[in-house]
This record gives sequence, C-alpha cells and structure tokens, in this order.
Amino acid sequence: MTEKLAFIIPELILFIATCLVMVTGQWPVRAIRNFTPWICGIALVLAGMVAAMTPGDPAALFPNIMPYAKFIIAAVAILLVINLTGTVDRELEDDVDNGKPFLPIRSTGAEFYAFFMFSITGLMLTASADDLIWLFLALELTSLPTYIMVAISTHKNQSREAAVKYFFLGALGAAIFLYGFALIYGAAGSTNLSEIAVHFSDNGLGTIGLAGVLIALLGMSFKIAAIPMHFYTPDVYQGAASPVSAMLAFVPKTAGFLAIIAITATVGWNEFGRLPATVESMLWIMAALTMFVGNTLALLQTSVKRMLAYSSIAHSGYMLVGILAGPGPDGAPFYRNGIAAILFYLLCYGVMTIGVFAVLGAIEKRNADGTTSEADDIEDLRGLCKTHPVLGWTVVVCALSMLGFPPLLGFIGKLGLFSAGISAGQIPIVIILGLNSAIAAVYYLRLVAVAYLDKGDKPATVATLSPYASRRLAGVCSAAGVVLLLVVAQPLIEGAHKAADFNAPVPHQTDTQQDQPAEHALADHEE
Amino acid sequence: MINTTFLTSTLAMLQDGHAVDTHAPAVTHAATQIAEVGTGPKWILLIIGLPFLTSILCGIYAMIGNKTKLPAWTVVAGSGIAFLTTLAMYMSFDGTPYTVHAFDWIQVHFSSEGGDKSMIANFSFYIDTLTIYWMLFVTGLATLIALYASEYMSHDLGTSYCRFFGAFGLFVFSMACLVMGDNLLMLYLGWEGVGLCSYLLIGYFYKKPEAVAAAKKAFIVNRIGDLGLALGVYLTFVHFGSLEYAVLFNDPTLLGYIESAKTGDFSAIPRMAQWIPLLFMVGAFGKSAQFPLYVWLPDAMEGPTPVSALIHAATMVTAGVYLIARTYPMFLTSEYALPIVAWVGTITALLSATIAMAQFDIKRIMAYSTVSQLGYMFAGLGVLTPTGGVYHVLTHAFFKALLFLCCGAVMHGFAGQLDLRKLSGLRSVKGWGIVTLGMFIGCINLAGVPFTAGFFSKDTIIAEAFVTPGASMIGWILLFTAGLTAYYTFRVFFRVFTGPVEYHAGEEHHGDDGHDFHPHAPGWAVNSVLLTLTVCSIAASGLYFVGGNKDTHTKHYAQTMVMASTANYESPYSKHAIHAAHDSHDPNAGAGPRGTIDHELSMPIIGGDPHKVMYYVSAVFGVVGILLAALLQGPKGWQGLFIGGRTNAAECRMDPIARMCGPIPKMAENKWYVDEIYHMILVTPLRIISHIFHWIDKLLVDGLVNIFGFLPRLLAWILKPSQSGVLQGYAVSMAGGVTILLLVVFVIILQGGVA
Repeated sequence: MTEKLAFIIPELILFIATCLVMVTGQWPVRAIRNFTPWICGIALVLAGMVAAMTPGDPAALFPNIMPYAKFIIAAVAILLVINLTGTVDRELEDDVDNGKPFLPIRSTGAEFYAFFMFSITGLMLTASADDLIWLFLALELTSLPTYIMVAISTHKNQSREAAVKYFFLGALGAAIFLYGFALIYGAAGSTNLSEIAVHFSDNGLGTIGLAGVLIALLGMSFKIAAIPMHFYTPDVYQGAASPVSAMLAFVPKTAGFLAIIAITATVGWNEFGRLPATVESMLWIMAALTMFVGNTLALLQTSVKRMLAYSSIAHSGYMLVGILAGPGPDGAPFYRNGIAAILFYLLCYGVMTIGVFAVLGAIEKRNADGTTSEADDIEDLRGLCKTHPVLGWTVVVCALSMLGFPPLLGFIGKLGLFSAGISAGQIPIVIILGLNSAIAAVYYLRLVAVAYLDKGDKPATVATLSPYASRRLAGVCSAAGVVLLLVVAQPLIEGAHKAADFNAPVPHQTDTQQDQPAEHALADHEE
Repeated sequence: MINTTFLTSTLAMLQDGHAVDTHAPAVTHAATQIAEVGTGPKWILLIIGLPFLTSILCGIYAMIGNKTKLPAWTVVAGSGIAFLTTLAMYMSFDGTPYTVHAFDWIQVHFSSEGGDKSMIANFSFYIDTLTIYWMLFVTGLATLIALYASEYMSHDLGTSYCRFFGAFGLFVFSMACLVMGDNLLMLYLGWEGVGLCSYLLIGYFYKKPEAVAAAKKAFIVNRIGDLGLALGVYLTFVHFGSLEYAVLFNDPTLLGYIESAKTGDFSAIPRMAQWIPLLFMVGAFGKSAQFPLYVWLPDAMEGPTPVSALIHAATMVTAGVYLIARTYPMFLTSEYALPIVAWVGTITALLSATIAMAQFDIKRIMAYSTVSQLGYMFAGLGVLTPTGGVYHVLTHAFFKALLFLCCGAVMHGFAGQLDLRKLSGLRSVKGWGIVTLGMFIGCINLAGVPFTAGFFSKDTIIAEAFVTPGASMIGWILLFTAGLTAYYTFRVFFRVFTGPVEYHAGEEHHGDDGHDFHPHAPGWAVNSVLLTLTVCSIAASGLYFVGGNKDTHTKHYAQTMVMASTANYESPYSKHAIHAAHDSHDPNAGAGPRGTIDHELSMPIIGGDPHKVMYYVSAVFGVVGILLAALLQGPKGWQGLFIGGRTNAAECRMDPIARMCGPIPKMAENKWYVDEIYHMILVTPLRIISHIFHWIDKLLVDGLVNIFGFLPRLLAWILKPSQSGVLQGYAVSMAGGVTILLLVVFVIILQGGVA
C-alpha cells in the first residue's frame, strides 16, 4: 500500500494543514486566529502545485485524472476559502473588540476551517480512489464535515434544520451506494476498480453486477444532487450561510462526479462509445429528469439561493450527458470526449456559481430588529449594478456564464458537453439539453435583469456591504475567472482532455461466454 | 427574341482567326499574361486603406461635434491621395497582373469526397489593366465630386455633413474592394458595401418620406440582384473549387469549357457551369439598373446630387459592367448568357430613352438617360465587344457626372427647381457661364455628336452589334435609341439654358412667391470641378486615338487596357483554338455555322464596312435628334439654330404634337406604368402573403411559443408540492425514486432482453 502514498502527497499536505488549523483556529491571539484562512490557502496552493506535478497512476482506469482533478479542486477551493471568511465567530470577534475576553469554548473557527480542509482532502482522495472502499471512505470524508459546516454556519435554526435533513438524507444516500458497492464486490470478487473493470469486460455485468452498478449510481445521485436524490438541495442551500452553500454546490458535486466516472468506467463504454443499454437508459432518464426538474422549479423561485440550488441540480443533469457520451474511442479529440467535457465543466461551474454566492454573501440587509442577515431574495439584488457596480457586474457576468452565453466560460464548457453528446450520437438527450438551456435562460436572465436593467432608485430593502471584503474579492475573482479563464481555456481544455484519457480494460478473450466465468478465467491462466 | 445561335457561331468564327472586334484583330500576345501572377508592392493598400480611414475619421468628427468643412477636406484628401496612388500604380505597371496581400481573411480547409479542399478568400487585391482602368476614374471622380460636395452640402454643416462624408468615404472603400479584390468574395463584400452606402446616401434626407422610400426601394431591388450574385459565387466555388481570379481563370476545367464553347458544343459543358453566368447576370442587372430591375435608379435621385453623380451615374452602377467584364470567360461558357445580356441592355436602353423623352424633371431625365446608357454598355458586352462597353463606362462616367453636377448646380442655385418648364435661358443669367458650358459639353457627348468621346464609345458598340451575327436587330434598335438620346438631351439644353430668361424658385425657397428670388450662382469649388470635368469629357475622346499597342494589335487606350485583362475573350482562351484550326487543316472547317458567319460578316451595311459606315450613320441619327430638339423645343433665334420657336419657359412646339399623340406621352411620362405594374403583380401579392404569414405567426407560431413558455411553469407547479421541506417526505421520495428507476430498468430488461 505504501506505493499509493506517492499519489496522495497533496492530500497529506492538506491533512497537515488541517491539524495546524485545528490549533490556530482558537488561538487566543487574534493575529494567529486570523492567520487560519491563510494557512488553508497556502496549503491549497501547495497542494495544487504538487498535484499538477504529480504523475498519474498508470494502472488506473483514468490514468491521468488525478493531477488535473486535484488541480482544479485546489484552485476552486482557494476561491472557497476566500469566500468563507467571517462565516463563523462573528459575534465572538465583535465581543473581543468590545473588550471581552476570548473564550475558546465559544469559538467554532477551528472546527469550521478544519472541516472545510477535511472535506477538500476527502475530495482529492476521491480523485485518487482506485478501490471501492477507498472511494466510499473518501466520499464520506468529503460529505461528513459539510453536515457540520451547514449546522454551524449560522446561528439560525434554519441552518440546524438544514443540517439535520442533509445528514439523514446523506446517510440514506450513502447507505444506498454502499449497498451498490457491496453488490459490485459480490459480483466481481474484488474491490479494486481496475480488476472490477477487467472482470466485467471479461465476464459481462451479470445480474448482481448490474444491480450493484445501478444502485451505486443512484446512491451517488445524492452527491451530485440529481434525480431521484435531489430533494434536499434547496432546503440545505437556503439554510446554510451562502459561503457554505457555495461550497456545497461544488465539493460534493465534484466528488459525486468523480465517483460516477469511476463506477461507470468499470462498466465501460463499448466500441461505439455506448454504455450497456440498461446503465445508459437509467442515466438517460436521470439526466433528462434532472434537467427538467431543476430548471422548471428554478423558474418559480424568488430566493436566489434556492434558485441556485435548482440550477445546481440542472447542471448535474447537463454533466450527466457527458457520462452518456463517454470518453469516445482511443485518441478521440476533446469535442468527442464527454468525460473531458465534464472535468472542464466542473471547473467552469465551480467558478461561476461561487461568483453569485459570493455576491449574496457580500451584501447584507438590515432587518427591522437591528440584526443583519444575508441577502437572499432576488429583490435584494435590484439595481446592484448602479449601487454596487463591482458586485452587480459580478452577478451579471456569472449569471450569463451559467446560462452559457457566448463567449463566456460557461459557453465553452457547455459547448464541450453538446459536441460530445452529438458526436456520441446521443442526439435526443442533447436536444433536451438545448431545451433546458433555453428554459434556464429565463431565470438567469431575470437575475441579470434585476441587477443590471433596474435603475436601483427604489431599493426594496436596505442592502449594505458585508464587512468582509474578502467575499467581494471572491466574487470579483470568480467574475474575472469567467472572463479571463477564456484566455487560458486552451491549456485547461487540453488538461481536461488528457485527464479523460480512458484506459479501457483489455478483454482477455474475445469469445468469452458470460455464463461460465470461472472456467474461462482458468483458461486465460493456461494460455 | 433571343438568338441563341449567335454566340455559338461567333465563337466558332474565332477559330479561323477572324476577329469579331475589328478594332482588335487577332490578339494573341496577352495569352500568357493571366497565368503569371506576381506579388505587388504594399503601398497599393493605401488605395483601400485611406478611404476607410477617412470614413472612420468622419465618424469621429461627428462624435466630437465638428461643425466645419473638415470632413469634406478629409475625404477630398483621402480620395485624392488614393487617386495619386492609383496613378503611381498605373505608371509602375509593367503589364503583368499581380496580387497584393493585405491579410488572411477566410481560409477554410475541409475534406470532402473529392479529397481535401480549401476555400481561400483573402483580403488581397488583384491588379491588372482592368482594375487600374476602373480605379483611375473611380478615385479621380470621387476626389472631384467630394470637392464639389464640400460646397454643395455646406448648408448641412454639422453631424449630417459628417454623416454624408463618412458614407462617401465608405463608398470609395467599398468600390475599391469591389474592383480590386482578388476573389469573388471580396467583390461580393464591395458589392454589398456599395449597396449599403447607396442606401445610406439615397436616404440622406431621411426626414423626407420620398427619400426613405427611394432608399428602401433601391436596397430591396438590389437584394434581388445580390441574391443572384451570391448564388453565382456559391456555384462557382462548388463547381470550380476556387474563388480567386488568379486560380479561377486559369482553371483547366474552365478553359476546357471555353474550348468546347468555341466549337459550338455547349452540351459538353455541365448545366451547373452554365448557370453561373446567368446568376452573375442577375446580380449585374440589379446593381446596374437593367430591365427589369432598373426601377430603383430613377428614384435614387432623391439623394443629394453629388451622390447621384458619383454613385448612381459614374461608378457604382457600372459595377455590373465590371462584374461581367471581369468574369467574361465564364460568360463564354453559357449558350444564353451573352445574348440575354445584349438583349436586356438593348431593351433597357430603348425603354428608358422613351421615358426620358417625356419627363420634365431634368435630374430624372438624366437618371433615365443613365439607365439607357448602361443599357448600351450591357449591349456592348453582350455583342462581344467588352472594349466598347468598358470604353463607354469611362466616357459616360465623365460626361454623366458632369451633367449631373450641372443639374445639381441648377437645383442648388434655384432652390430645388428642376422642372424644365419653369427654367429658361440660364446661359444669359450672370454667373452661370461655366454651368452652361459644362452642360453643353455633357450634352454633345451624350447626344453622340461626332468627334466627342460619347460618339466614339457608343459607335464602337453599335458597329459591333452590326458585325456580330444575329445581332443586327440590336444594332438598329441602338441606333434608333441614339437618335432619341440626342433629342431628349438637347431638349433639356434648349429648354433650360437657351431662350428668354425666366425662372421660378423651387420648393426649397422660403420667400414671397419667388418675386424677390435671386438665384445664387455656384462658387469656386463647384465651378472648378465642372471645368475639370468638362476638360476630362473632351479629353476622353482623345483616348480613342492614343494608347494603341502594336504588339497586341489594339488600336486605342481602352482596348489596350481591356484586352490585357480577363475581359479579353480571345486570349489566352482562343490561342490554342486558332492554332489548332490552322494546324489541322480540317476539311470541314468551312462547313457548318461558320459559312453563314463569313456571309454575314461580309454583309455590308449601306454598302460599306459597318465599322466605317457607322461613323456616318450614327452621326446622322445624332444630328437629326438634335435638330428635332431644336425645332420642337428650341427658342427663337440663333440659340434655337434658327428653327426653334419657343418664346417662354412653359410652352413649346412639342406640346400640340404631344396632344395629338393621345395618351402615349402621358404614359411615357408615367414611366409606362412599370412601377404600377410591379406594384400590382409583385408588391401587392407579397403584401397579402405577408399579412397571411403575419397572422400565422401571431396565432400559430406565437401560440406554440407561448405554450412552450407556459409548459415549464406548469411542470414547476406540478412538481412544487414535492418540495415540502419535510424530512420523512424527502426520504420516502428518494427511496421511491430509486425504486421507480430500478423498476424502469427492470422493465427495459424484460422488454429488450438486455442483461
């Protein structure tokens, strides 16, 4: 097992940083406490750089996925760290300012950042996973900290309710995909993904294997917030503080897609680039329903966070098209490679969605009782381009990008999904994708219209800037990313393309009869 | 109506080395010139770049609120330097065509059944004698007319002034792209560009409904032609695989087609290739206002007069002639294209000349005369004398610009008065001497008085029509039209410029009924331009005697220029054919259609060689026309050549004759009701159809769209209750969803048997 350590150096860096953060997060000296996010940031920069330089695992099904996936995870996580500042301990720090002593027992800063780092570590471990057990543990390491982060992100009961829902439903989802994993193990006799893939390619899926794969994929739909496990999304996104919601939009979704890519890769795409008909039809139904449900329900929302939650659901549906398209034949170009499209789109989606959440976190409204709360209602963004031009334009740019407006980043990302789907012959689902992009335009453009077109002379609520300038910075970084990443889109696309290089298992024998696997395995040995 | 054999037989005749265009017997020298295409110096790009720059500068002037004549001087300077550059290009031209590359524009490489192909249309320019010939008068006239307009438009100083000169600069740029582009796509770019500028400038007085209507009419009618051109360009690419002249006109396939066309064997040429010239022709008819698409040009006179002079008389409307001259080799591959061009040109010439005879608005008369003269040019191209057509373009550019600018000066000086019944004796008004001189020189050119430029160029066309087999009918019609032209031209001159002094202010005068009206004579800018153009119009006749080239057996300047370009139908295409015919000693060479040609060729007209006889015949027609004009419209005394009898502005001897003719003069005045007919058979049905489609759109399409807009919301309302916020409910829904999806897959397995 020690040779695996070479692949997880970024995770180890993050783990060391996590341990540091747990200590510094509640240090009595303010300066050291304030340094905590910097530790996270530095660790992520280091981890990202190391990840980019670490070679992939040639034995894995996607030998090159690790460096790219970990790199984009680190990059987006840096944005998330910038955005997270001031989420917890705000009242405590106010008290300290007023001369009261610092009480570590009241502080949650250490846990908050540590859990964040644990979650990112888990996410990177998901990218490294080559084993079902590893995959399961990594997924749970990604998710478990987020339950707590939701709970402590605000002092409102809404957050706790959201956390409880998230936890129980997450446990349900985990149970389902663990059940699937167990069935896969039962069918293949191994937990190693490459061995499972070889087994499936040699002997066929079999009933148990098929059930295992389907159930595992259904369970994983919880992580990516897809049908049928999407119900929690709006409640949880709305209940959590918007920086945490931003994290929920990116981290579990990325973990879920990495896991789905790993699981579908064990089944493999045939020479025509198609999954087995059963798996394909289920994913097809999931993708289509997810897009429709996400986009149509987003139409009715007045809460921007709920709207973004439904948009998150819809985006999962879009990306499932990439899974259906698959990596294509050997040496397929980017536009044919659905997995590459997903890997690139995850980055695009992370950057765009964090931008809008960051703006929500950066403005506050003063309630009647003197307390402040985060902006959430779409009315809070009214006329933002006039009142706070930087934030306003961030919303405009990010929303247009999420809509897929050319030439912004989201357009390029979606273009990859479209072209992969079309080249793979998945025309009907691409038509549905196009229809849904059109439906989505309604609510994204409403966001743009509210922020840009309204003159802002009659503000519905008194919106003020949050004291944490770093959130504005996160928003600006996202908006800048949406525009500036276009310049480096080519290397990023090439990276994604390289990462999605599928190492299909070589069948041991072409005339394998599926009902007698053992004998043929024996025969292979004799040859 | 169309003698489809005449081209066949004419081309066949080329095999024997009989030159149809006897001004250019047996041209073979230029045979290899088109094949060698070198690269030219980059300074030639100034001709393109400067006008574009001036256009942008005018836009900037408008933005910063300039209220001086700066835009005019900018455009004059830009066009002037472009003209000098063109002159330098001409001086340094050594006879070998070359291309100048500005930048890569469209380069598409793709695979198809026939292997890898590429479509290349660069922003580069093809310079040969035809290009230089055209650019010389385009930039030269643009400079002069910009100078004229600097004074003419001065009542509009400010944003409108900038707008006018901005569009003017853009026009010169577009025209340069059209003429100089080295591929058909560049030509198309310029084609659309000049169309746009024409639209913008006709609608310059955009508050005047007539101007707006005229602009729209010009644009829409031109769209019909442009569609033809676009289809022709597509088809050219599809068939020949290239749009670049240097490649296209050396394409072995095309040369092969021309070889078979010379033997009269059109069946060897694919139908698709034969369609290309027909489609180009439609484009040329639109842009150059030929029947049936000529209706926009007379209305285009709503624009300011300098625009009429430059765009709608001298340059843009000759783009169609340029297109056909440029793609002449392709026209040779079609059995019908050139005969149609000849006949359409002839009909247009006659029809618009009859309309011009009955008009009273002098600018409108000039407009119809432009249409008519363009008809001559097309007839010239059609009867296998591109030289005649192209020479007429040049002479016409000068004298028609001059005539328009004189009319413009009258209009400007008399507060918009253009009615020849309300103006008389301008030559005797102080300050109008140069205008009168310019008008007189323009009129004798247009009327084809012997030894004027217009006489020689028109004569070339008519004479050629008589020697081209099967086209003598065209010749007679053109000859008759020349008489009509002389009549209507001098009708204007005798009515407006001679006789007793009498004038009424036009509608733009804001005084007391014209009693205290004093016309203001043109200033130095207008006068100097008129003088320059007068000199140019006279000098253009000199080109008929100079510039011949013994090596290429060309007799005069225009011919030398044309015969060294792609418009030369004889070389390189005929070279091999001539040699083949001479070498093979084909016993059947004298049989077939060529026998009849020899007969027809030797057929004298009024007992002589048509080329010589035509000098006298057409001179007679011209003089008779002028005398008729003097008799019917001229004033008493020497000004009316002692045969006139007019004593006031409003009445003349023609009036009782017109009354005797019944409704015919009225019909001619109303343009033979062509606009009304178009309105009835085209516009009204289209309007009805558009209303039908409007309602279909409103009820059916909008309805469908609204349903699609409503469906997602409906779905959302159905789905909304599922988001109850209750934990147990979510858990049950999720488990249920998992179950349902698994069941669906189970059903799929059962039905499809896939496992």
